Amino acid sequence: MNNEKKMNEKGFKATLARFLTNEKWSGFTVPLFCIVLMLIVSSIFLLILGKNPGTAFISFLAGNGMAMKASYGAGSGMLSDFFQFLNVMAPMLLAALAFIFAYRCGLFNIGIAGQMLLSGFVASITVGYMKDLSPWVARPLVVLVGIVVGAALGAVVGFLKYKFNIHEVVSTIMINYIISYLTGFFINSKFVDPVSRASKVISPASRLTMTKVLIGGFYCNVPLGIIIAIVMAFVVHFIFEKTVFGFELRAVGSNRNAARYAGINVGKQIIFSMMISGILAGLAGVTYYLGYTNQILPKTLAGMGYDAIATALLGNSSPLGAILASMLITVFQNGSNYMSSVLGVAKEIASVITGILLLFSACGGFFRFVAKGYLDRLEDYKAAEAKERARQEAEKKEGGADA
Amino acid sequence: MGEKKEEYIVEMRHITKRFPGIIANDDVTIQVRKGEIYALLGENGAGKSTLMSMLYGLYEPDHGEIYVRGEKVEFKSPSEASAKNIGMVHQHFKLVDNYTVGENIVLGIEPIKKALGFIPYVDMKEANEKIRTLSKQYGLEVNPTDKISDINVSIRQRCEIMKMLYREAEILIFDEPTSILTPQEVEYLLKIMEELRRGGKTILLITHKIEEIKKIADRCAILRRGALVDVLDVKTTSTQEMANLMVGRNVELKTTKTAPKFGDTVLSVRDLKVRDEDKVEVVKGVSFDIRAGEIFAIAGVSGNGQVELADAITGLDDIAEGTVTLLGQDITYSTIRKRTETGISYIPEDRQTFGVFQDFSLRDNLAIRRYYKEPFSKKGIFNFSVSEDYASRLIDEYDIRSGQGGKTIMRSMSGGNQQKAIVGREIEEHSPLIIFVQPTRGMDMGAIENIHKQILAERERGAAILLISLELEEVMSLADTIGVIYNGQLLKIADAGTLTSQDVGRYMMGVTEA
Repeated sequence: MNNEKKMNEKGFKATLARFLTNEKWSGFTVPLFCIVLMLIVSSIFLLILGKNPGTAFISFLAGNGMAMKASYGAGSGMLSDFFQFLNVMAPMLLAALAFIFAYRCGLFNIGIAGQMLLSGFVASITVGYMKDLSPWVARPLVVLVGIVVGAALGAVVGFLKYKFNIHEVVSTIMINYIISYLTGFFINSKFVDPVSRASKVISPASRLTMTKVLIGGFYCNVPLGIIIAIVMAFVVHFIFEKTVFGFELRAVGSNRNAARYAGINVGKQIIFSMMISGILAGLAGVTYYLGYTNQILPKTLAGMGYDAIATALLGNSSPLGAILASMLITVFQNGSNYMSSVLGVAKEIASVITGILLLFSACGGFFRFVAKGYLDRLEDYKAAEAKERARQEAEKKEGGADA
Repeated sequence: MGEKKEEYIVEMRHITKRFPGIIANDDVTIQVRKGEIYALLGENGAGKSTLMSMLYGLYEPDHGEIYVRGEKVEFKSPSEASAKNIGMVHQHFKLVDNYTVGENIVLGIEPIKKALGFIPYVDMKEANEKIRTLSKQYGLEVNPTDKISDINVSIRQRCEIMKMLYREAEILIFDEPTSILTPQEVEYLLKIMEELRRGGKTILLITHKIEEIKKIADRCAILRRGALVDVLDVKTTSTQEMANLMVGRNVELKTTKTAPKFGDTVLSVRDLKVRDEDKVEVVKGVSFDIRAGEIFAIAGVSGNGQVELADAITGLDDIAEGTVTLLGQDITYSTIRKRTETGISYIPEDRQTFGVFQDFSLRDNLAIRRYYKEPFSKKGIFNFSVSEDYASRLIDEYDIRSGQGGKTIMRSMSGGNQQKAIVGREIEEHSPLIIFVQPTRGMDMGAIENIHKQILAERERGAAILLISLELEEVMSLADTIGVIYNGQLLKIADAGTLTSQDVGRYMMGVTEA
């Protein structure tokens, strides 16, 4: 029989399978496995291009202030690069959290990009263009606008789902288009900067990233958004794990029928979860458009709104996992410029590597499934072997008795 | 060769079959004589169906040999088995709904003729004629021109039998054929089997119902946990003996019920109407009362509105018309949570999808009725030590077997233990009304016995119990009052003592005249 070939329970395969299925750690080991796979595959890819993968990965890190660059410009150093990394990571983490919040309730929020754009736009034209506001007023106002706009958008999607059973994927994709063109129209007709063709730059007081702060002799762009993002990750974690509200959300996401049976108001939970997902997306929007950047390109949705989905999956759709996942993805996205200049390859190569990582991270569940199947077969094989041995021994004994 | 002492038509020697995680058959040997009805008796998961699936070519054994008419065979597919004149009627019929009976029967071996010498077409005339002849010969009474969607379960099953006969099968395997039939239909099927035996066919009957074996089988092989326990001569063995062998210990075949002590009316349903998603009325004006300490059982063939009735009372389905009153409170339009808090416990039919969250821990699943209340949570924040203690208590009290106690993920538990968890959780609420829908479906005898005891204990405590079951036996042995549902209506409500199972079976078919 074909599956009767030797199976070694202490072999590499078995150890790996156990590593991936370990209940306590699989949330950590599976993404790690994905990363290792990505490193291997992208190394092969880089070798084919005739580049040294080691140099490539180090320059990714250097681009994010996690390793030394060969040279720095005046007034900048590793620390400036690291703060730039945090600048990108903040909206990425918030966007990933937005996806996770809806996803754990069984909803697929694909409209994060649109929710980000609209809240960024509204915050820009209200607070961002207001003159003479103290940063102490302007910044909280920006955050508040982000929350309100995101919540409203999310609630609309949730309501459509609950009341008219319109699938959230359809409604969010459509709303993305509407927002993209509507804000594009207003930017082009009212708020355009004639030189950059983007929207006019917002006031520094309202920007959530403090630019050119002198730290340790280097000029750094310090993002306030990263504090919001990490706090939100822990808040979301707390909601899911410790509160009745989070339990009911997960219940609805896990099994809508059983949730109804348990007396949970499914419609209310759907609206709430979309609303909070929208709030997180709104926060991502203001940290992106009024932090990382300070203007908006018309008719362009941030790719981050979609990358966040894969980031969330890489983090095993857990809020704390998302912190690590968004760090990792940001390293590759933010470090791509420097990597491509060092290696002399096109910047798109970095996107290919990110793509490979995202592809593998989406396969996490599959890896776990395969590992589980392998262990089951191993278990079987062991049982069969033990029986076979017992039978042989019995036969030997019988034979001995006969003789 | 001809003087062989005994001629076996089917022999399965030392059959072993493993599936990931379980050994379905462990060194099983059976020998079947030509022209006998050979029963395979065992609980769910004993390995009866697996064994027969190997004879029918659905699986290949890991070890062991199969002989048909003394000749060694290795079936790779059912078509090879049917080439050796073996046929099987599965538990779930494999019929095309919008084809006629005849078309279904010839499917795969259509009699092709050529019109004008070159245009191929299926000649149903001849096939239908052959079907009619066979139908008469064995008393099957199937009409080849009826559409499958227009005929009932019993006739569909006879279609499947006809399929085998049409293919000239000599060895017929029946997989739990009576589980979906009413008592009258069972009688009829058993008669057909006798007819087939008289016609020289060999029948292998998979079942867990001892009564049927007693009535019809010649010999009976008992399987337990994949292994062959014994092969018995049915005539000389008592029912009790068979039951004990099947379960592996002494079982009580009769439930002992105390005299009823009825209290006040707990649930009162008036002219209840329920419509399904397509706005078709599935419950058509049902009225009944249940008193404290009373088991009100609803008998009926599956799909006559009983599940919708239960769902309407618990609030999972909307009520179109009528009223539901619980303990004097009108709950017709209340939310589900309001109803459960007023006093309903519900063991749903589809426990895998309604009763539990498969991805959640046993602890969380056991706390489903209480998690939002103190002391399980305070101001919306959980106190997990309370639910952990509660889970440990229920696990002990209701003998819920789980790998890692409260931490066990529901999905990894067996169906029987999941059901124990649901029953325990619901009973623990001590609700005035408990609704059981198919509480013992797919469970083995020991577990059934246990759940029946729990139902009776709740009755003793003074709960009003609504029991909805497709197992007539269960209804007859537990009910104080029986309501028979047919086509969304309660055709008959009467004291259990005044009805025989034959009466109930008749009402289940929609016959009101004796």
